[in-house]
Amino acid sequence: MPSHLSLLLRLEARRLADPFRHPRLGTWLAVLLPAVLVLVGLWLAGEQARPDLASGDGRILFGFLVSAPVALQAYPLLFRPADDAFLRRLGVPGGASFLLRALRLLALALGVIAVALIPFVATGSPLGLPLAVASVAGLVSWAVALWAHARAADTTVNPNYRPGLLAMTMALDRELVDAAPLVFAPIWPVVAGGMAALLAGISAGTLPLRVAAMIVLVTPLIPLAVRRFARATPRFSPHAGELAYAPPPGAGESELVIGRGWARVLPRRAGVVRARDAVVVDRRFRWAGRAVWPVAIFSVLALVRAGDDPEVRGWVTAACALLLLAQAAAVIALGRLERGRLRWIDRALGLRMMDRLVGRWATAFGLALGVAIPVALAWAANVPAPSAWWWLVGAAAVAALASGASVAAAGR
Amino acid sequence: MTNAEALPLEVRELTKAYRRGTVLHHVSFAVRAGEAVALLGSNGAGKSTLLGCVTGDRLPDRGEIRLCGVDPFSDPAGAAGCIGFVPEQPFLYGELTLREMLEFVAEARGLDAAAARPETERLLTLLGLAGAEATLCRELSQGMGRKTALIAALLHRPRLILLDEALNGLDRPSAERLVAELDARRAAGAAVLLSSHDLDFVAGWCGRGVLLAPGGHWYLLDGEAWERWRRAPSLRPPEY
Repeated sequence: MPSHLSLLLRLEARRLADPFRHPRLGTWLAVLLPAVLVLVGLWLAGEQARPDLASGDGRILFGFLVSAPVALQAYPLLFRPADDAFLRRLGVPGGASFLLRALRLLALALGVIAVALIPFVATGSPLGLPLAVASVAGLVSWAVALWAHARAADTTVNPNYRPGLLAMTMALDRELVDAAPLVFAPIWPVVAGGMAALLAGISAGTLPLRVAAMIVLVTPLIPLAVRRFARATPRFSPHAGELAYAPPPGAGESELVIGRGWARVLPRRAGVVRARDAVVVDRRFRWAGRAVWPVAIFSVLALVRAGDDPEVRGWVTAACALLLLAQAAAVIALGRLERGRLRWIDRALGLRMMDRLVGRWATAFGLALGVAIPVALAWAANVPAPSAWWWLVGAAAVAALASGASVAAAGR
Repeated sequence: MTNAEALPLEVRELTKAYRRGTVLHHVSFAVRAGEAVALLGSNGAGKSTLLGCVTGDRLPDRGEIRLCGVDPFSDPAGAAGCIGFVPEQPFLYGELTLREMLEFVAEARGLDAAAARPETERLLTLLGLAGAEATLCRELSQGMGRKTALIAALLHRPRLILLDEALNGLDRPSAERLVAELDARRAAGAAVLLSSHDLDFVAGWCGRGVLLAPGGHWYLLDGEAWERWRRAPSLRPPEY
């Protein structure tokens, strides 16, 4: 296994170096644009996006914020890389593949830790405590995510597995019940990250000791996870591929209708692009649309109840900004999907770059309006000295940047 | 560990169903050393599913598969050494050059670099890719990508070569040279399981066939049944 791991690490280094060896505008835009948006957004949010680490609630919240992206990205990073089947057919052991993917997840965790510190840096706060709390939350959630997901994979393909009571609550879908351990796996790292953050910052005196103790405590989970995944992988990896099956859309669901709603004002060709892009985004990146209503409802409720509290406004802004970023990522991913495969269709149809740009912008803006309109209305009604129209301008601007990056990522 | 005496492929009572219905129903057949077996069926009949079960990319609901005597789901490394597989849509690392891709494959398979190089050069020349070694895989045409995947599948001299529509997109001279190479491999004891819609080619080149029909039905075209099918190749279930 060590030789395979070293081979995979060399391959990874080669692949990571590709944007430098063969720089392409689309690749760089797709990477840098979301990164710059996150950095600038958090820097500007500053005080508002900085949890109060002196309180237990603040530390738990900070822990959740750091561990949630790690927990939610664990499944795609650990189980769904594009080369999974190829590597298995080459005889690369599951343990080596898992270790490499664990390192990718660790890189993500370190990135999240760094991002979480931006509001503290922006406000000139001391970095010692936030760094310790974020690090311990990130590293604990990483180790627990590895263990929880490897355990879930192993359980799912165990012929003796019987769904528990919690799994049976999803009885509407038999396959979902069977995959219940995977559905619930992200809860462990989120909870562990929150608890670790709470314990890490209890008192400053013994902080380094507690941080070290927690990291030592979770370290044995890593070899356990590797062993469990290696055991599960021959049966689980093909199973994971089948879990990705998407049933055909139901009647009336995200139909391709050209020139409906506000898209009527678009030039016809741009309207065609918008209609197509809207359906593809809805089917391929359904989460980008599904996340709109929870965020919009909670934001409106928060503004109605405490719109005059700057901290509440800060959290509403942060939640909506994160949603807009996630939607921008979906729009950029749409462009990457087209690269080298589907781009010829637009060329063959004679769609110009401007048609594609305007149509894609309309798609991205349409997605963003789902949250921007209700939040702008609630903001106008409940916030003193309202500047609600900034929500629409912000949504349009993020949509413009995302659609530009998406069209660039699709290539010529 | 694989068994040198074992058949390259044994499929016993293989059953696989998706939400849309049963695709494979108690399919049983074997592929012997040196023979070429055709996997036939219309689109969606289950050819790729069967190959996926054999390669470990699909989980069978029931049944057993043995590759050179080993179960691909309990000894994936042993099974991987036995087979060379070219899927309908081969995977290539777009960031690597063609040469880097093949070097990676050789090293992952545990081949000696010095020994693998002449074989790589020979296969590159055979399939008309000599001179394209420095091309990034993402810049390769569909046919060149398929040839690269073919070389990657043949490099370690597998005992069982699995080809899923692998001759599609190849220019005629390359296809002819590839068939000659496969003949040489068969003469040396390798077996080929080939899925193809080119019924005339299959009828002329393969020695037996497995015909998959909708609903999980399947027919082993062997001996007299194969001879009858060769005279009038079609995807209709044979009449007995």
